[in-house]
Amino acid sequence: MSFQEKNIAVSLSTFTLILGFYLLRIFQMIRGESFNSTNVFRLWGIIVLLAVIGTILLTIFTHIASGIVHKVRTNEDPQIEDIEDERDQLIDLKGIKVAYTLSSIGVALSMLTYVFGHPPLVMFSLLIFFGITAQIVADIRRLALYRKGF
Amino acid sequence: MSKGRIGNNIRKLRFLRNEMTQQDLAEKVGVTRQTIIAMEQDKYSPSLDLAFRIALVFNVPLEEVFSYHLENNAT
Repeated sequence: MSFQEKNIAVSLSTFTLILGFYLLRIFQMIRGESFNSTNVFRLWGIIVLLAVIGTILLTIFTHIASGIVHKVRTNEDPQIEDIEDERDQLIDLKGIKVAYTLSSIGVALSMLTYVFGHPPLVMFSLLIFFGITAQIVADIRRLALYRKGF
Repeated sequence: MSKGRIGNNIRKLRFLRNEMTQQDLAEKVGVTRQTIIAMEQDKYSPSLDLAFRIALVFNVPLEEVFSYHLENNAT
């Protein structure tokens, strides 16, 4: 697995965990009748922090761990190919396109809920849901492109 | 319109250059080894810039490295 693929795998794992945590908290709020603006916006803050800090820490940890495994297995120093070439950039662009399309659809759907009379909190909750989902689908797409080529 | 496929002789040319490694070629043309692997497996078609750089490394004309095949001929 290349350096870029590892980064995508880490991002995919992080955002899948974050999505799980987010959905769990939202359902807990709905069941506990604490689905209000204070709790939802606090959750937004937690999610953004988790996404940024979690991705950075997990990426560092993964590269250290894979470096140690490589050294133990082959007794060679790990080579970090952290350059980004034209293929990486093209794959990134294809991923961004998927994320952008899904996010746009998500924003439109979220706004529709407001148009059809649901409270604004539903719209805000759906916005972050579609944002995370778009990131996950984009990561899957990028990983698939690295694996099967294009 | 017919769909085309870009083939290449990179593997053969590396072999003829004293079994040049993928890593060596990657470093010479400024890409990752994964990109060289993807090209050799016909999973990635390089840009014109990269194609010319590869041809320069092997010191051969571009058409000796890359070839273009039409997959089905539409009339």
